[in-house]
Amino acid sequence: MSNVATNAVPRTGAAAVPDGWQPHIVALVCNWCSYAGADMAGTTRLQYPANVRMVRFPCTGRMSPLMILRAFEQGADGVLVSGCHPGDCHYVQGNLVARRRFTIFRSLLDFLGVDLRRLHFAWVSAAEGHKWAKVVSQVTASVSEVGPLPRFSSADAWDGLDMPAVEGTGPGELSVADLEALQTNVRRAAAELLTTDRVQKVVGYRAGSMSGRMVPVMVTTAADTSQLEWGDGCVNNLAAFATTALETAANVALVVKTCDLGAVTGLIREGQIDRDRVRLIGVQCPGVLHGDELADKCRSCSGAPHPICDLVVTVDGVRESCAEPDEGSAATEDARDAQIAHLETLPPDERWQFWQRQFGRCLRCYACRAACPLCYCSSCISEKHRPQWIPTAIDNRGNGAWNVIRAIHLAGRCSGCDECARACPANIRLDLINRKLALEVERQYGSAGLDPNQKTALIDFRMEDAEEFIL
Amino acid sequence: MNRTAWKLTETQMREWLQGLVDAGSSVVAPVEEDGLTLFSPIAAAQPAHLEASGKTQWSPKEFLFPRSEALYRYSLKGDTVEIRDPEVAETQQVLFGIRCCDAAGLMRLDEIFLSGTKDPLYAARRAATTVVTAACAAADAECFCTAVGGSPVATEGSDAQLVPLADGWMLRVLTDKGEALVGEASGSWTEAAPDDIARIDGLEKIVTEQITRNPIQREWSRVLEEGFENASWDQLAQHCLGCSICAYVCPSCSCFDMNHEADAWCGEQCRSWDACTFGLFTHHASGHNPRSTRQQRYRQRVLHKFSFAGEGEDHFRCVGCGRCIALCPAGLDIGEIVTAAATAIQEEGADAAR
Repeated sequence: MSNVATNAVPRTGAAAVPDGWQPHIVALVCNWCSYAGADMAGTTRLQYPANVRMVRFPCTGRMSPLMILRAFEQGADGVLVSGCHPGDCHYVQGNLVARRRFTIFRSLLDFLGVDLRRLHFAWVSAAEGHKWAKVVSQVTASVSEVGPLPRFSSADAWDGLDMPAVEGTGPGELSVADLEALQTNVRRAAAELLTTDRVQKVVGYRAGSMSGRMVPVMVTTAADTSQLEWGDGCVNNLAAFATTALETAANVALVVKTCDLGAVTGLIREGQIDRDRVRLIGVQCPGVLHGDELADKCRSCSGAPHPICDLVVTVDGVRESCAEPDEGSAATEDARDAQIAHLETLPPDERWQFWQRQFGRCLRCYACRAACPLCYCSSCISEKHRPQWIPTAIDNRGNGAWNVIRAIHLAGRCSGCDECARACPANIRLDLINRKLALEVERQYGSAGLDPNQKTALIDFRMEDAEEFIL
Repeated sequence: MNRTAWKLTETQMREWLQGLVDAGSSVVAPVEEDGLTLFSPIAAAQPAHLEASGKTQWSPKEFLFPRSEALYRYSLKGDTVEIRDPEVAETQQVLFGIRCCDAAGLMRLDEIFLSGTKDPLYAARRAATTVVTAACAAADAECFCTAVGGSPVATEGSDAQLVPLADGWMLRVLTDKGEALVGEASGSWTEAAPDDIARIDGLEKIVTEQITRNPIQREWSRVLEEGFENASWDQLAQHCLGCSICAYVCPSCSCFDMNHEADAWCGEQCRSWDACTFGLFTHHASGHNPRSTRQQRYRQRVLHKFSFAGEGEDHFRCVGCGRCIALCPAGLDIGEIVTAAATAIQEEGADAAR
């Protein structure tokens, strides 16, 4: 609906390129090298295409993916990011951190259907006027080849995609007697922690008003632990309530499934909760339901409680555990990887359609953010309005910006608990986006696993990080 | 006023719907998209998903009160500023197959946008809209229209109503707009028999029995307001995560925010949905926030649905569709909460009297 982007040429799929069309390209350049390099090209009187408009930054490390996104939103057909060669950063390591960020962001935009011929990265030093001219020529040719940016809207007539079915049977059914035993043991574990005053509050699940659905509850007395339930309706990741619970209790216990642990680890790693104030009650999980079916995230999970929990609850009883975090890693297989692989075989135009239709449905209710244990910022980027980075209008452009930025803020941090996708009333496949980024981060830089002392990939760097796509 | 009721086969109903599409109206009906049932403008009758029961994922309010719309646009040319008014809706629009709770929700929106100073954009859209409701033959698990004074066969806000029969539909015409919508199409239809008309009461009885949620008492409006400071609010809403699913899927929530979306050359004043469950909703420029906790914000939502009323309004703003209950990521149930709050407040009052 916004008329702000005046340059975007309406286009879906492989429509004809208008006569006389010239690409608009935005170059985000580092002040200390590429900007001076471009200046050098000018003073050397080198000829190169005039399609590039430059925006000067102090460092590539200062360039948020938001800025690349903003350029596309405002009608750029292509974006070039250029900075100092590794080792030459004016601020020592800005470009090294940026390199990781751009590697992951690039794979995200690719996954969302942005043709990578539109997005380029280069190292151009102040002395490399010739390289600047060459890079700009190359980028202009590449963007010209791919044509105008497709429209931020969902096509009216589009049949959708046939996604491969998600395979896997999950933990396998527990008998009614087993579930009852588990429930009794959860209550026992909670009551034990409360009566011994190891915690003053237990965050668990109780029966909700909708049949089969368990809802979060905070229990403070041993008597109240009779409210606690266990079963396939325990969908919430209770780590989302950890900080709230800790506001009014010295020590808190969380009832957790194995898939919830990554978020707890993340909160500890990022200094949001203190491990010493939290007791984890890890419970053997029957797999949770999404609608009437087993949730996708459960299909490749055994449901076994994780040994890093303080108390481990199985059908047989409750035992103390608390293994060292590096003794166990998070599961790396996921049943949805086949769907991701399928999407990746499609041409970018089809992926663009796939995601535009979903982003078009987004209501901007921010349930994804609210349900996510790791979205804890007290002031979210979507609420910043000086400048307004994420358009407030609830349309494809603003919705796309929101979902992309949320995904990139969680890259390397997301624990794959799928709460965002579960909460989303518009069925946007946020789970696929997060999983795709997790795979990419792991492939490039390895996973931080469940060790809170391990840095996550995007706040770290190595001199020798891969950069095969950088010009 | 007694108007005609017709008995239609599924085929006749779809032919009529196709006729409405062909006549050039924008026809909005439930359709399936990626596993969801959503309202969407249709280009043909065929994809319309019309069933005897079941709801869309969210309400049809966005077709009268869009998620976002420009209130004015401007552009700078040299030293001059050109300001343009937004386009006012002229195309006739038919909301086809919305549920009675959704139609009641639109009436609640009317109270906001059409009373006092009328909102011209909303008013134009409303005037160009004809509503064809579809009565429900069964309640969903989250439904509670009868608990808030509604009905699965209510006619409030409907210009015409489809009533599911064992074999096809009964179409009852309720207003002039509804009459106009039927127009010539009724030539080949037969009038409904008394048995068919009796079906309306039958459905109401069946669905009312299926809805097991606690009725919300009318006097609780006063009770809730008096118990504004009751301690129970803190505990009842402590799991609210602060998203706005409840408000955005709600047929009667009408809050909005205005933002300026612009670049150096042109821009617009953009009105978008907003919700009282967001922290920024009441955040003052000074930094002060009168509703600084999620509990306070959730209380506001409950009170606005069940307590605060405009002049001359004698109904809840909640229409009982239950979507907020089905979709709340934290499993909050507004019916449960309002009952618990009213009970706690009344008990506190009784204790004080003793």
